[in-house]
Amino acid sequence: MGLGKKWKPLMLHGHERAVTQIKYNREGDLLFSSAKDQQPNVWYSLNGERLGTYKGHTGAVWCIDVDWETDKLLTGSADNTCKLWDCKTGVALLELGTESAVRTCGFSYDGNLIMFTTDKAMGRECELRVYDTRDEYQIKKNSPMWLEPQPKHKITSAVWGPLGQMIITGHENGDLCQWDIKTKDMNTRAMDHSKQINDIQFNRDMTMLITASKDTTAKLFDTETLELKKNYKTERPVNSAAISPIKPHVVLGGGQEAMDVTTTSTRIGKFDARFYHMVFEEEFGRIKGHFGPINSVAFHPNGEEYSSGGEDGYIRVHTFDKDYFDFEFEY
Amino acid sequence: MDAESDTKPSWADQVELGEDDTLPPPHEDFDENKGTKTITEIKFNDDGKKVKIVKTYKIETRKVSKSIARRKTLKKFGAASGDPPGPNPANTYISEDVFFQFVRNMEHRADDEDDPLSKLKNHKMVSCRICKGDHWTTRCPYKDTLAPIQDALDGDKKKEEVPEETQETPASSAPSRPGKYVPPNLRDGGNRRGETMTPGRNRDDTATIRVTNLSEDTRETDLQELFRPFGSIARIYLAKDKNTGQSKGFAFINFHRKEDAERAIAGVSGFGYDHLILNVEWAKPSGNQ
Repeated sequence: MGLGKKWKPLMLHGHERAVTQIKYNREGDLLFSSAKDQQPNVWYSLNGERLGTYKGHTGAVWCIDVDWETDKLLTGSADNTCKLWDCKTGVALLELGTESAVRTCGFSYDGNLIMFTTDKAMGRECELRVYDTRDEYQIKKNSPMWLEPQPKHKITSAVWGPLGQMIITGHENGDLCQWDIKTKDMNTRAMDHSKQINDIQFNRDMTMLITASKDTTAKLFDTETLELKKNYKTERPVNSAAISPIKPHVVLGGGQEAMDVTTTSTRIGKFDARFYHMVFEEEFGRIKGHFGPINSVAFHPNGEEYSSGGEDGYIRVHTFDKDYFDFEFEY
Repeated sequence: MDAESDTKPSWADQVELGEDDTLPPPHEDFDENKGTKTITEIKFNDDGKKVKIVKTYKIETRKVSKSIARRKTLKKFGAASGDPPGPNPANTYISEDVFFQFVRNMEHRADDEDDPLSKLKNHKMVSCRICKGDHWTTRCPYKDTLAPIQDALDGDKKKEEVPEETQETPASSAPSRPGKYVPPNLRDGGNRRGETMTPGRNRDDTATIRVTNLSEDTRETDLQELFRPFGSIARIYLAKDKNTGQSKGFAFINFHRKEDAERAIAGVSGFGYDHLILNVEWAKPSGNQ
């Protein structure tokens, strides 16, 4: 074990409560964050300057997504709405109501279709909904082009597949499903996780995806076939995992569940972000800093920076130093 | 009269208002050679003391794509709409230093079942001269602590081991091979019911020894290593300072058997450990029981 050079991460403190998800836009100049307080934030990733907040939700915001052109922002909240915003001004453009909390949301590749899933709560089933934002009828009447109820296991994470041809959903029982957007059928299903899947993220060309699960592992899958490729083991629930766009590295963020945090100290809580080699499945580095579990991690699209958002309400932006880039995995 | 007092408050008002008005405005310096901007501000801190805050920013010019450059000129909105240009120190600050720790195989090797050496562990290929474990003597965990003690004790141990075995074998119906798991109800004395529930049994003071003159850095695990060779230990209590967590210099060790405790006293008393000479004796029965 060696100590690298000191890093001075930027701390972004715009949220009063736990950060739920962070995402970079495609070019990486902006960082979007949602939290259990009611205002999603947007930051300049370079200097940590806050550009603005999106005011309008009246409940915890669970998910956030930005479209390809950084034009529109999609947020899903526990106030039973999914909102579409103008990225640049913070004005709400659309609001889609549901019967229960919106857990995950996403833009398709072209930004025209939106997808979100709702919680199984208040006697309502979990649903996967897809809308075409160009079709005024769908928006005004709130009638999605595709509504897929999930009576058995609720969806805990979902993303659009490459080119918007499929949706990949992670469920509370650990199932990973791939849905065809045209036939509206389930293509394939992987049942490699034993507990709920908290996060799904793609590699740069979207040929592979990494899942983070409460069963203390993160797994790498082939996008097309959902074939299990790699398995990254830890000893605590993994809340989020991301793949470096330039190096064969993955970063895992997690820690104990929020409800257990007060009964354990930071030292044994294991709240550090952990770097694994993507191919050899071996851990090679970790970064401390958060004093609560990490809820979301994201790599900057240029791979030179990564950010993590935690239950402690902070977002930490880390710029990799030379030591990190010089590091070669010995095998 | 009114107009005059608006523009020029009396000196008494000025004293009452405090010196807030007299603070110089923030001063900005731009160093073109270094490309740094320095903002010097004088403020009152929470204790009412005047403090000077110097913030240094590095000004960089970067070439970016048009879309990014356009976004850089956006007006701030929402809760950030009132912020001045540049990061707002209330929301954005530099954290304390963190290290990128390079780790190798820290937690995986320990539970690696496929290790060929670990498979060999069950077959007794090597026997340690110090603790009779199945490892090389040089790798014995008690190498540094116990080699001299054990030499002295070896004689006694052999004598003791023989009667033990003769006692045990008639009691258990199946011949118990060493190393094989025997469920508690089949063990010697397993048919005696409710024995463990007898009050006072768990805190049997007769097999308890008191170790004093321990160094501050001693941990429970150290004691376990030191005393394990004498026999199975029921409980280790190391007195620790509430605040610092450091050892207070004494500990109690409960052995399961009195003979083990006796040997431990004989073996470790006067033994040099961590630059101190250990003192081991029988624990006196605690007064409150």
